[in-house]
Order: sequence, then C-alpha cells, then structure tokens
Amino acid sequence: MATLQELKNELKALGAEYAKIKDLPADQRADFGKKINERKNQLNAEIAAAEAAAEQEDVAPLDISAPCDINGQMPEFLTADQGSQHPLMTELDRVISIYQSMGFDVVESVQLDDEYHMFDSLNFAKGHPARDGYDTFRTEEGFIPPAHTSTMQNRVLKANAHKLKEGKAIAVAVPGRVYRNEDIDATHEHTFYQCEGVYVSEDCTLGNMLAILREFFEKYYGQKLNIKTQPGYFPFTEPSLEFLIEKPASLGGKGDGWLEMLGCGMIHPNVLKAAGIDPTKYQGFAWGGGIDRLIMLRYQLNDIRYLESAKLDFLKEFAC
Amino acid sequence: MLVSLNWLKQGLDKITISDDELVKLIGARLVEVEGVIDNTHKYDKVYAVQVKYCEKIPDTHLSLCKIDDGGKAEDVERDSDGYVQVMCGAPNVHEGMFAAWVAPGAIVPATFGTDEPFKIGMRKMLGKYDSYGMMAGADEVDLGDDHTGIIELDSSVAEPGKPFADIFNLSDKILDIENKSLTHRPDTFGILGFRREVAGILGQKFTSPDWYLDGKQDFENDKSVKLDIEIDEKLCPRYTALVLESTGAEYPKTISTGATLLARAGMRPIDPVVDATNLCMLTYGQPLHAFDYDKFVAVGGTDSPKIIVRAAKKGEKLELLDGTTVELTPDDIVITSNNVPVALAGAMGGKSTAIDENTKRIILESATFSLYNLRKTQMAHGIFSEAITRFTKGQPAGQTLPVALRCARDLQAYFKPLAAFDTQKETPEPIVVDVTLAQINGLLGSDFSGKDVKTILENVEFAVELDGDNISVTAPFWRTDIHIAEDIIEEVGRLTGFDNIKPVLPLHATADPNPLFALKTQIRNILSARGANEVLTYSFVHGDLMEKVGQKPDNAYKIVNSISPDLQYIRQSIVPSLLDKSYGNLRAGYDRFALYEMNQVYPKNLGFDDDKTPQGLPQLGFVFVSNKEQSNYYLAKKYLENLLEVLGAKFELAKFTNSATNSYYEPKRSAAIIAGNMTIGYIGEIKGSVAKSFKLSRGIAAFELDLTALLALARGAAAKTFRLSNYPSVSRDLTLTVAGDTAYAALDSKIRDALKDYIYKLSPVSIYQADGADTKNISFHLEFAHPDKTLTKNEIQDIMDKLESI
Repeated sequence: MATLQELKNELKALGAEYAKIKDLPADQRADFGKKINERKNQLNAEIAAAEAAAEQEDVAPLDISAPCDINGQMPEFLTADQGSQHPLMTELDRVISIYQSMGFDVVESVQLDDEYHMFDSLNFAKGHPARDGYDTFRTEEGFIPPAHTSTMQNRVLKANAHKLKEGKAIAVAVPGRVYRNEDIDATHEHTFYQCEGVYVSEDCTLGNMLAILREFFEKYYGQKLNIKTQPGYFPFTEPSLEFLIEKPASLGGKGDGWLEMLGCGMIHPNVLKAAGIDPTKYQGFAWGGGIDRLIMLRYQLNDIRYLESAKLDFLKEFAC
Repeated sequence: MLVSLNWLKQGLDKITISDDELVKLIGARLVEVEGVIDNTHKYDKVYAVQVKYCEKIPDTHLSLCKIDDGGKAEDVERDSDGYVQVMCGAPNVHEGMFAAWVAPGAIVPATFGTDEPFKIGMRKMLGKYDSYGMMAGADEVDLGDDHTGIIELDSSVAEPGKPFADIFNLSDKILDIENKSLTHRPDTFGILGFRREVAGILGQKFTSPDWYLDGKQDFENDKSVKLDIEIDEKLCPRYTALVLESTGAEYPKTISTGATLLARAGMRPIDPVVDATNLCMLTYGQPLHAFDYDKFVAVGGTDSPKIIVRAAKKGEKLELLDGTTVELTPDDIVITSNNVPVALAGAMGGKSTAIDENTKRIILESATFSLYNLRKTQMAHGIFSEAITRFTKGQPAGQTLPVALRCARDLQAYFKPLAAFDTQKETPEPIVVDVTLAQINGLLGSDFSGKDVKTILENVEFAVELDGDNISVTAPFWRTDIHIAEDIIEEVGRLTGFDNIKPVLPLHATADPNPLFALKTQIRNILSARGANEVLTYSFVHGDLMEKVGQKPDNAYKIVNSISPDLQYIRQSIVPSLLDKSYGNLRAGYDRFALYEMNQVYPKNLGFDDDKTPQGLPQLGFVFVSNKEQSNYYLAKKYLENLLEVLGAKFELAKFTNSATNSYYEPKRSAAIIAGNMTIGYIGEIKGSVAKSFKLSRGIAAFELDLTALLALARGAAAKTFRLSNYPSVSRDLTLTVAGDTAYAALDSKIRDALKDYIYKLSPVSIYQADGADTKNISFHLEFAHPDKTLTKNEIQDIMDKLESI
C-alpha cells in the first residue's frame, strides 16, 4: 500500500498532469478532465484515511475501566473552592421553587420551535407587523429558536386542559432559553432566559393575576411591595399590561423608583380556543419576564455579555 | 413618536392635576412614556423684536441693525431711542421686519438640553461693531433646518419684547412615546386620537369635530376635472383623491404655528403644501400625499387620467422623491398613472409627479393600504418615515375623505378645491360588540355598574346601549382594533386604571417539583462542590466549529438570518462549545479546571417531536482541561463515576465507534456509558487533532450524558443501603500481578465476588508496570469485616490467600 507521502506526491503530480489538457484536441478534453478528477477524488479520500490511520497508530489504547493510568497518579477532584454554579441557573432555581411553592407546575421551554407555536397559536395574524417586534431567527426549514417562552402556551394549555374538567385550575410556570436577532452590547444579548406563567380556571380575574404576581415578587425579594401597571400590547392577551414593582430595599430602593418586571394580561380567547379550551367557560392570565434582568439587578452586573462568556474570571465570583 | 403636551392639552377641559401626574396617568393607562423632554425654559430670553434700522456694511455679508426689544433685555447698551445694536449676516434681514432675537444671557435654543449648551453674549464684530445677542434662523431656534436666513414673524402676532415662546406656545413638554405599545391603536398616532384617550382617562367627555365624523364635502365637483380611480381592495381598501387648483397667492415668508408643531414632533417644515399634509398626519394620524396633477396626467399619456393602485411587478423600477431609484417587488403597492408607477404606496412619492414652484393643480391623496404589504415594503426598501409608521398600524378607512377635505380647507389660501373622488360608495356598518356586566367584572375582578361602563366608554365616543346587564357597544369608525367582548373589557379596565383593581390571591393548589430541574440542581450541586465550574454557552455555533470536531454541518439546523457566521448553526452537542471556551481560560491563567453545561441540543438525526417540531435533547457536557500534555481521562472518569454513584445510577463502560455527533472522542481512549441496554453517554479523551485545533494539549478529556435517560435511571434507582458491621474490621494491602492487557474491571469484579459475604471497602492504590514488562502490578487497600462476628486470624488469612490467588 502506498504511504501517505507517496499519495501526496501523486496528488501533486496529478495537478501538473491536468495542465496538459490545453494541448489535447477539444473532443478529448472532457474525457481527460473527468478521469483526472476521478483519480483526484480517490486520492483525497485515501489521503484522509491514511492521515486518520496515522493518527490512530500514534495512539495507544487505555484501559477504560481502570481508576488511573499505568504508573500514573490516582486522580483527585479539584478543590471545592474552585467550583461555581452559574448565576443564571441558580436564579432560575430560585424562581421556579417560588412558583412551585405557589402551586405552579414547572415545564421547561423548547429551544427550537415552529411558526405555529411561536405566533399562529398566540393570535398573531399571518404577516402581522407585531411579529417583527420579536426579531426571530429562522432555520432553513422555517423553524424558529423561540423569541419568548410564550411559545409554550399552546402546549401547556393542551396538556393540562383535563384539569379544568376536573374542576382544577391550570397553573404552570415555563422557564427557558430564548433568542432574538439583535446585536449584542452591554445590555443586549441575542440569547437570554425568560420565565412564563400560565393560569386558567373558570373564574380567575385580572385582580387575581395582579395578586399572584405581587406575591411572587414579595417572596422573591422577601418584603412587601407596591405594584403598578402600564397598558401594553400583546396579541395573545387582552387586556395586556406591563407589570412594575417598587424598587425593593435589597436593590437600594427607597420607595421611590419602579422596576418594569414583565408583560402580562388576560389570555386572549383565540389562544384558549387554539388549545381546545372553551373561552366561554374558562378564562386565564399569562405573563412572561426575563431572568437575566433579575440577575443584572441582583448583582448590579454592568455587562450582560458575561453571562454567556464561560469566563472563569466571572464565574468564580459565584463560587459555592 | 413625539407628542407636545401643550398641543395635547388644547381642546381638553381644564386639567387640574400637575404635568407630572398627567404623564404618570398617560403611562399607567394609555402608553409607555419613554421620557419627557422639558422645554419649559428652552426659549427663555428669546424675544420678538422689530428691526428699526438696517444698514449693509460694504464688502461684508453683515448688516448693522438696531432693534426694538420693548426694553426687555438687560445688560445691553441702548441708543437714544432705546434700541439695541445687533449685527446680522442673513440676506433677508430688512428694516421693519419682526424677528426672533436671542438676547444676551440666553441659551441658543437649538443647544438647549444638549451636552454643550451655548450661551450668547455680546461680541465685537469686524473689530469695531458691538453685537448684542443674535437674530435667529429657524435652525438656531430648533424649528427646522433652514439656515438661509433669519425667521420672520408675522406682525399680527409679534410685538417688540413679546417672549417668543408666548407667540407659539413653545414653553412646552414633549412626551417621547414608545410606539410599540400602540401597535394595535392606529387612531392614537394622531394628536386627535391621543387627546381623546387622555380625555377618557381624565373622565372628560370627548367630542370629535363634526367634519371628522360626517366627512361632508363643502364644494361642488368641477365636472371638467377628470380622474378615475381603480383599486384592488385587498391592497388598498379605500382611496380618496382631491384635485386642487392654485389660487396664485404667494406663500407667506413668516413662520407659522403649524411649522412649530411639526418641529416639535421632530419633522421639518418645508412648504405650505407639504406642511399642511404633514400637519394633518400628525393631527389625525392620516398620511397624505400631493402629486402634481398635470405631471400625473402627462406621465399617464392620455387625457382621461386614471389612478390605478396595484401590486408592483417584479423588476419594475421607480425613481423616488429623494432621487433614489428602487427596484420593486410584487409585495410593494404602487400608485400608477394609467399603469405607469408614480409612487411607492405608503412609503414615498415618485420624482416624476413631484410638486414644484410651477405646480398649478395638485392631487391630494388620502388612502389606506394593506399593512402587511407596507410592512414588507418598509423592510425591503428600508423606509421608516412618519407616514409608513402610521400606515403599518392599519389606518382606519373611515377618515380618508374627512381628513383630505380638512387639508384642502387648511390650504384654501393657496389652493381652491375643484373636485373630490372616492372609491368608497357606502359607509360600512359599524362594529357592534355585545358584552355583559358580569363578563366585565368577572374578567377584571372589578365592581363596575352599567352606568359606569356607559360613561367610561361614551367619554371616548363609543355608542353604548344598556339593557339590564347586557351592554351593546358600537365602536366608532376609527377603532378598528375592537372585535370581541375582551376588547371592550380592556377599555373599561384601562381607562379607569388597572391599578384600581384590587389584587386578590386565588387559592394555591399544590405542585410537584419538575424532576428534570430537580436532577439538574442535584448535578450542579455535586459537580460544583467538586471544583467544577458551570458555564452557559450559545446554542448557535460556527460551521467551522463543527468541522473541527468532525460533526457534519448537514446534521445541524442552519439559521438563515444569523447575526454572524459564528452563530450560524444550532449545536449538535455541548462538548464542542466547552472545548471552544477552554483555551481562553487557559490563557487567562487557569491551568487546571473542569467546565460543564446542561442545556438542550438539536442534532437533526433526533428527528421530530409528536407536534412536528424538532426533537431536542437535554444534555450534560463536561470537560477536564489542563495545560499539561497528560491524560485527563481518569479525572473525567472520577467525576462521572462519582456523579452517577451519588445519583444511584448503575452503569458500565464499553468500547464504541464514533458516530455523527460524538466524533471528537478518541475511540481507543474512550468509552460509551451504558446503563441497562442503553447508551446514555460517552466519556473519553478528545482526539489529538481536535484538541490541537482548539489550541489545547493532547489528553483533554470530556464526557456527555443524556439527561432524559439519566433521569429515568435516577428515578428508578433503589435507595442506597448502608451496611456497617458492629465487629472490628481488618485493614490490609493487596497487590496482584496480572498480564499487561488485563482489564481493571475484570480484576475488580473478581475481588468483589470474593468479598461478597463480608462488609468491605476496596480502594485502588496504584497500577505499576515496569518498562518493557508484559505484566503489571495492581495494588489495593482493603478494609473488611464479617457482618455477624469478629474474624479470626485464620479466617483473615484464608480471605487474603483467596484474594492473592486471583
């Protein structure tokens, strides 16, 4: 069998051979070119295989079951003080454990979805400009890395519709990673985390929604909080609101500032209908807010880009 | 969108609350106010003055002027008549004119509120003339771009010394409105609609002008003016065109209140026709466009002119007003003159029919277009004008004629209306929504009476009929967003303030913890307590990254509108991202560390979920990195074994061959992690060539685990049992010599088998092989005890003999 060097030499020679094509009569050129190309492809494949084999020959097998290398040291864990958990993940844990304590089941959002879940099932008219506001990425097949955790509403409602028939409420929190096609800077990331909440029952009200959201943030910040709202617009809720809380004392609030925490509203009847829930019998509310923002506030983080940087300089600040 | 608070307040009943409170209410009940630009003092010490004397200084562009400021300015030298000397370089300065004078000590208004406010004083010009303050051009008082001369004030509004701000009500606050929160409310994109909402919020009854409601034409059509209109209703629900004829009256040279309103909304005053159309747009939310009628007819090439509104043809070209030529697509809507495109609908007029100083007749267009098409036009041609911003909200068709007629009346000093043409022959039926009081209070958690609801809605011009608890609501034509009961409920809650609804907590149900999240928390606690660092990395990776690790890009979903090539594919596994982040940390001075991430991956070969969306896989990826060329396999393995042991998941390691997604493991130094009959992950050294491509040393090791499978194992695991003997345990060392190719696992299981009746602890100590030897020595430390008795010397010796004979 030819050595790797021989194969490489032949490939080089083939290049020179190909140059002869211009001296041939026109009717022979196609045939000649084809033959050269076939040989070239063949050689390239052989070279790749030979290179892979060369790498393999170089490698001694190891005993996959052994505790250590032959004549090597017994491995030791790194020291505990080197370790850290990601602040986004611990924050997410904190958030979902509060929702769980408030009776919300937790379902993780998908990270690749379709137009139906992201928009159609949420009462976005086809081609409506409101879709632009979400700056979605798209795959060649038209799938969408979701731009909001609301992409899970239809699934969550469908999966839990049976509870309504049993006289119970649907109460689900949906944390997840979401994506928007925007340039990143200190305060913008194309990849971030949100948590969605969905609540449906026979008679829940907007007043209930405000109370639940207030309770969540009171538990989260460990203090009583004033709340306020602003009108908003989301095609999937009617009415739609922005929800604000008084700046908590732990973030340096002195009862003067307000923090915009999330968007919320009463679920649009079309969204319930799309999930097979009769909007004349049941009503609900939903909300969604960013987790990254909670962290930025909690740690007074000045640059959101640290979160996805995998830099140990940053992560070790969160040693456990 | 910028909204002048002074303008907004015009036509409202007296407002008793402060501006701050009003802005708060607007924020709480209508729209997000991003900021308030306080221009209350922007025009302090700017006065209307009359030029009493004006003399050109030879061989310069300057004129020496004496102005009458009514004696208002302080710290200025005055002549015997009490006039102040100002030098002026504007060509239009002349004796007798009224101008705006920025007095010494004033901030030049255009620089007010900027980082570099410019305070004017006295300057000596040409080395000998004292010049106090300055007479301002439109640009200097922030009322336009014009710098060709100074602004001239009409004598009917100006008098010497009158504060400039008082003439045009310029002591103002400008609200910066976040448009996104009004996407569904085209009617609020005009001051009339915005004001109506504010009235409703304040509990005032608002009434639109009669002409707006009835749209009656107040002139007879001149039968000699010809114009046909043909529309495709899907693209253009309504098209109104007025033909106006110039009266020959000259345009005034003085600045108007309208111009100041345009400037306050961030637009530039241009000429009376354009200004009138823009002002109508700002006031009523209806964009208008003016064509030169005669040019329009000429372009069409016939004497029976016809406006045809149609989809553009592929490849059709149009030169726009701003001189650019755009290539149109079938998503664009064009206005044509007998099929020759003359305007890109909703976006911009064409050059061929632009009005100019010779224009005799104009066509005033007032129309609505499909917002879906215009949205595409906006994106395709990058046109983000005030007009298209409004059109893409879906302007109500009901106002095209009334606003066109309004604009014609605003222009009547210069143009006389000849004829009006309109595609709408009948007024459409209004939208009526039925709702009950129980529905309203039941959704909001409120306590409104029927009468409350009637007043709240009638204040903003809904027609309301009460019949007991049943409420029938007729939406005015501009409320194109009203369709269902919930829309009405929102109006009631919003106008009275959602914040006035009492929050009431429903009863909590109970919820089970999400098992996958619980598992992830557990894994995080285990790995990080053993010194590993949890990271998050992007779900998107470069195609090159996949090529580097031997993954095929065609097994990855490709993003068609990625931000950069770095983020073009959705990753197939976590480990490559971790490898990618390792070198940077080595360079930062960390010479030995472990990184891990738990996230979803979406290789295409996983196929699709039941709902036909791509199937994802929650995966744990882990790498152990050091800057030395050494095998980290056993380090990674120690983490893996410990993790799975704590989780109670039984597993074994087996040889494997590389597949599509795990191509980066060196097969001779890697293993599949098997539990039951299922492969739940892989562990191994990264191929040398792969490590090198990430600038990492040979021997970097990694593992990855399918978290769904791990969850099933961990949940099914039997609780760990502990057996401790109450009898003394024996401590011994054991060294076995075996053939060089003996697998450790084989030995390990034999020892454990021999000790199965005892309570024991087996710890490997070392594996030694001399250079060139074909055997190796494996040493263990051993502690064992009998469960029910104390072992005798002989029994201990028997056990050790048995072990040593393995």
